[in-house]
Amino acid sequence: MDSTKPVITKESKNRISVDYEGKLSFKERLMKKIQSSHTWIKVVVSVLKFILMLGVSYVILFPFFSKIAGSFMARQDVVDATVSLIPKNWSLATYTAIMVDNKYWLAFLNTLLLSLLCALIQTFVACLIGYGISKFKFKGNKLIMAVVIVTMIIPHSTLEYAMLQRFTSFDIAHVMSTQQPGILELLLGWIPGWKGIELINTFWPFLILSIGGIGFKNGLYIYMMRQFFKGVPDELEESAYVDGSGTFRTFLQIILPLSVPMMITIFLFAFSWQWTDQFYTQLFYRGSDSMKIWSMVDVVRIPSSLVDKNFAGRAIYENVIKNTAGIMIVAPLIIMYLFCQKYLVQGIERSGLVG
Amino acid sequence: MNNSVELKDGIENIETENPVLKFLKSVFKGKPSLEKRRARAGYVFVLPFILGVLLIYLPLLIDSVWLSMSEVNAANKTITFVGFEHYVDAFSTSGFTAAFLAGLQQLIFEVPAIIVFSLFIAVVLNNKMLGRAAFRAIFFLPVIVSTGIMETLNAADAVSSESGEGINDGTQNNSAEIISMLDVQQLFASMKVGGELVTYVVDLVNNVYNIINYSGVQMLIFLAGLQSISPSIYEACQIEGATGWETFWKITFPMISPMILVNAIYTVIDSFTRSTNPAMAFIRRQFDGGSFSSATAMSWMYFLVVALVLVVVAAIVSSFVFYQRRD
Repeated sequence: MDSTKPVITKESKNRISVDYEGKLSFKERLMKKIQSSHTWIKVVVSVLKFILMLGVSYVILFPFFSKIAGSFMARQDVVDATVSLIPKNWSLATYTAIMVDNKYWLAFLNTLLLSLLCALIQTFVACLIGYGISKFKFKGNKLIMAVVIVTMIIPHSTLEYAMLQRFTSFDIAHVMSTQQPGILELLLGWIPGWKGIELINTFWPFLILSIGGIGFKNGLYIYMMRQFFKGVPDELEESAYVDGSGTFRTFLQIILPLSVPMMITIFLFAFSWQWTDQFYTQLFYRGSDSMKIWSMVDVVRIPSSLVDKNFAGRAIYENVIKNTAGIMIVAPLIIMYLFCQKYLVQGIERSGLVG
Repeated sequence: MNNSVELKDGIENIETENPVLKFLKSVFKGKPSLEKRRARAGYVFVLPFILGVLLIYLPLLIDSVWLSMSEVNAANKTITFVGFEHYVDAFSTSGFTAAFLAGLQQLIFEVPAIIVFSLFIAVVLNNKMLGRAAFRAIFFLPVIVSTGIMETLNAADAVSSESGEGINDGTQNNSAEIISMLDVQQLFASMKVGGELVTYVVDLVNNVYNIINYSGVQMLIFLAGLQSISPSIYEACQIEGATGWETFWKITFPMISPMILVNAIYTVIDSFTRSTNPAMAFIRRQFDGGSFSSATAMSWMYFLVVALVLVVVAAIVSSFVFYQRRD
């Protein structure tokens, strides 16, 4: 009777092979598997899935290919109907013109500094606020969440004019319609000719909005952080409290290290959305070219050395130049994304963004 | 410890008349309860936001409403209050109502398409498949890249490729449509469905690039939701002999329905506040044309429309949301 008893031949963490009487040989089992319809359906479905995903990927990636292809074309290729996607005469003229005439590297440095500062501040502030809303019970807790949602809904063009006025002569808590002085005026109003501080063409408008958690898309970041912290078990903090750790120490030493994947996700969002932002950049950096802070928005223009009014394919060519500028703007982001994309998915998956 | 006791005693002796001291006493009256201390810590955490809203955002809102109701004279910098004039005038501005309706139409078109598409992709990407990591990386690329400047460039590209002003990349055909209306009409003719559906499907296919590009965040949210469904439910289903189709409608769909609500709201906000939205583009042109006050008035009206649509969408979607009992 011993022979009918199954014998374990090999056992590992997630695999087990068993020998028992009447077990078919590997070859026979493979044949059975091939003959069964179940396997075939599975194979067909996964192939179809793969083709579909490939198709969607193509739709996403094709514009990049076409932009990159155009960026290496010499001018005569652009209008040549026989040239499609692969340039006949390779040329870097568009790139060099954008770098030199459009001061790409200046824009790069300015935007890098601003995006880094904003993203760091926004991530940290979103962390603070999200933690405060999700883990503490206090009066007005729900109201604050509602205000966060409202800041997401109000289209930014609604506040455009008011923001322009506010940051050309900045004062804290100053309302224009009432003639009441703001806080800064109370402190500094004795200076002759006081009209508020002009913050246009500085980083300050971005930083002030970021610190207050009311900048571009900050509502979304706060919401994401709140959802994340909701999923963190309370027991974790409670045990820290029992061990004698204070609220803020617990936050810094227990909660923050825990939320690094989510913070990377938000940092990635904040950084890249600030990087390609047009609205706030055009609003706060204004004036003539020599006056304003040079940013990525200013790179998208036709370099003066490439302007040729007699060229027949001018419209197409200018389009290609603008697309090249676009590629140059997002290239750093794509490189960053390649390194960080696994954190993006991880952060979201672990976030328990539910409910 | 000793100090605080002494202080407490000292205050109690002269407490009778002075309200300021009464307040001080309440502050120094031993240690507050744990609950109170937690509440206080909570306020400290949200302090940046409270300050930001009270000191910056609220004044901005009030200013914005006020500016929308006044006439600004740029020459001598005087501001005169005119009431609701700009709001009323907006309706007689040519193109205003058309732009708003176009914005709404785009919304009605986009929201269902984006949600269905992103849910579908999320479900596919959630299962094991060949090259899943690579596909994920590609699908979330538009979230990072195709916003702001790139969005404007892509929109300009779409316009220019219709008029043949792009490089020859092998995609251009005469009609500039991926599928033609005629093909679909022939397909649907025998099915007896309305003309609206035909246009919808044709628009859908021709806008597939936009829909894919705007689905990134929604896909992420759906993926997060799918990950949080306990695998034991699926196991139980399998043992009971449910097919994949049944499992999707009986398990995945109800469990993911809160995410559908979140995504519907997010998509509405995103679609409305995107710079390529016809209504936003119209308001932008007003700003660029220099009529700041009336543009602000228009965007306030636009905000009201957004809020209204949000309430309607939230009401519709939340009627079929299933909440699993938690905690």
